[in-house]
Amino acid sequence: MGSHANASGRHVLARFRARRILHAYLFIAPVIVLFGIFRVVPAIQTLLYSFYKVELLRGRFTFIGLDNFRTLLTDEIFQKAAVNTLVYVASIVPISAALGLILAVLFNTRFRFKEFFKAVYFAPMVTSTVAAAVVWWWMYNPQFGIFNVLLKLVGLPEQPWLMSSHMALPSIIIFSIWKTLGYNMIIYLAGLQAIPQQFYEAATIDGAGAIKRFWRISVPLLAPTTTFILIYNGILAFQVFDQVFVLTGGGPANSTNVVVLDLYRQAFERYNFGYAAAEAMVLFVFILGVTLLQYVYSKRFEVAY
Amino acid sequence: MSRSALVAIGKPPLVLAVSGVAILMILPFYWMVMTAFVPAPDIIAFPPKWIPSRLTLAHFAEAFAKAPWLAYYWNSFVVAVVSVGCSLLFGLFAGYAFAVYRFPLQNFFFLMILATLMVPVQVTSVALYILLARIGWVDTYLGILAPNFASAFGVFMIRQGIKAIPLDLIEAARMDGAGEARIVLTIIAPLIKTTLATVAMILFLGSWNDFLWPVIVINSQDLRTIPVGIALFKDPYGSMNYGPLMAATVISTGPMLLAYIVSQKFMIRGIALTGLKG
Repeated sequence: MGSHANASGRHVLARFRARRILHAYLFIAPVIVLFGIFRVVPAIQTLLYSFYKVELLRGRFTFIGLDNFRTLLTDEIFQKAAVNTLVYVASIVPISAALGLILAVLFNTRFRFKEFFKAVYFAPMVTSTVAAAVVWWWMYNPQFGIFNVLLKLVGLPEQPWLMSSHMALPSIIIFSIWKTLGYNMIIYLAGLQAIPQQFYEAATIDGAGAIKRFWRISVPLLAPTTTFILIYNGILAFQVFDQVFVLTGGGPANSTNVVVLDLYRQAFERYNFGYAAAEAMVLFVFILGVTLLQYVYSKRFEVAY
Repeated sequence: MSRSALVAIGKPPLVLAVSGVAILMILPFYWMVMTAFVPAPDIIAFPPKWIPSRLTLAHFAEAFAKAPWLAYYWNSFVVAVVSVGCSLLFGLFAGYAFAVYRFPLQNFFFLMILATLMVPVQVTSVALYILLARIGWVDTYLGILAPNFASAFGVFMIRQGIKAIPLDLIEAARMDGAGEARIVLTIIAPLIKTTLATVAMILFLGSWNDFLWPVIVINSQDLRTIPVGIALFKDPYGSMNYGPLMAATVISTGPMLLAYIVSQKFMIRGIALTGLKG
């Protein structure tokens, strides 16, 4: 009789487990199905299409091997776009991080209206990139824009800003710094506030000045925060599109063309879907590179702490 | 004299630096509002009129005459509400399953969801567009929504939130005979409402400001979201018509900036703690 109860108990338990598993699959099904259809399959298909010539209207897909990638290697416009993207990432990421760190140090003290100032610095982050870029487009206007008006007021030479192939990319970078600065500041501020106060007190007793304390205590202990900021900003910077579309449309003379903009033009203005898919793969490799860096570095910091 | 005033006086260079940069940060907003509300001749006056002497709504009238801003609002609103609603609902159930159950292929599915974070729509747009063209979703709400019905970030955040809930609580509810779906909706959801609010805010902001995917998938003017509307409103303008253009940016950024002014602490905290991209 005891063994009978035991067997039916096991039976109940097995049925119970089976129901749990059924529940689990039912509960994750919407997300898995939606992601499968609209994210995973398109990701794989983009890879496939990069080996095809795609004529969507005729419904014709012709396998052409590595031809798209070969063309990429000789496509001067795409190469310009790739170099511009790298320059953009290599400028915006460290500059915005460094300025964010300096501001965070300033904000890590007590002063009046601190919360108000914090909100002001963060405001660009919640504003639509497109709308903000439209405003900056007006501010960069060489004739009446506020930047040249200010330069004129203080007697400095006016600048061509977006009109010049030398200044257009830096102008976009300045915009993006304005847009991301507040975020980096808030993240660094959180990092600074997590550093135990005793470290600073001990260093002060040992006679370390403010600058020395910053370099010897803050900077090394903020290393994980810095890694996060560099990776996060890096991944987003590689996808830059909105501000370029609005401010310059890639010009003048492709001096501000970037990978996503070129991809957009190839796919949705010229309908070279296969070629655009190959460009998307280059973008993916960039993003993958940053992600792998993150993996390597976060491992290193786990060891260090 | 109050203590904080003493502190402020004790640090004039600091306050000077912070407020100097703050002026630069706020200048674009100021210039946007100024240009939108002053008459055309005052916009290009030199030296600039920092404090306007007269105001006008003419630029707003012109902006509204030239583009259907209310339709853009409605489109942005519908897309944001549906995508946030679906992402929260599906995320709640998926997050619960990943946090509470043990089932075969659990890690595989979870990693699959997280891996989509690494492959943004910038990368998948080509094949996604071709897929939607085949099923007739190009130039529809469904087309804009397709990649945004669920959020990997949402699933991840909600799972973290549920993991912090003691399992006893769920067991107790099961003892009382509550079904699993009811437990999720009536017991779990209220317990993690802060997480849900943060996720909702971030997804709403992301959807509201999203540009690349809507501009790819939408052709009709009637279906444009606000960012698409404003970006394409700019194009036909020459150098002189900045008033209506800035009125349009005020129209399009106004609600979000008001929401930010009202709830900036919640928004800063939420965005800083979790990152922004859905």
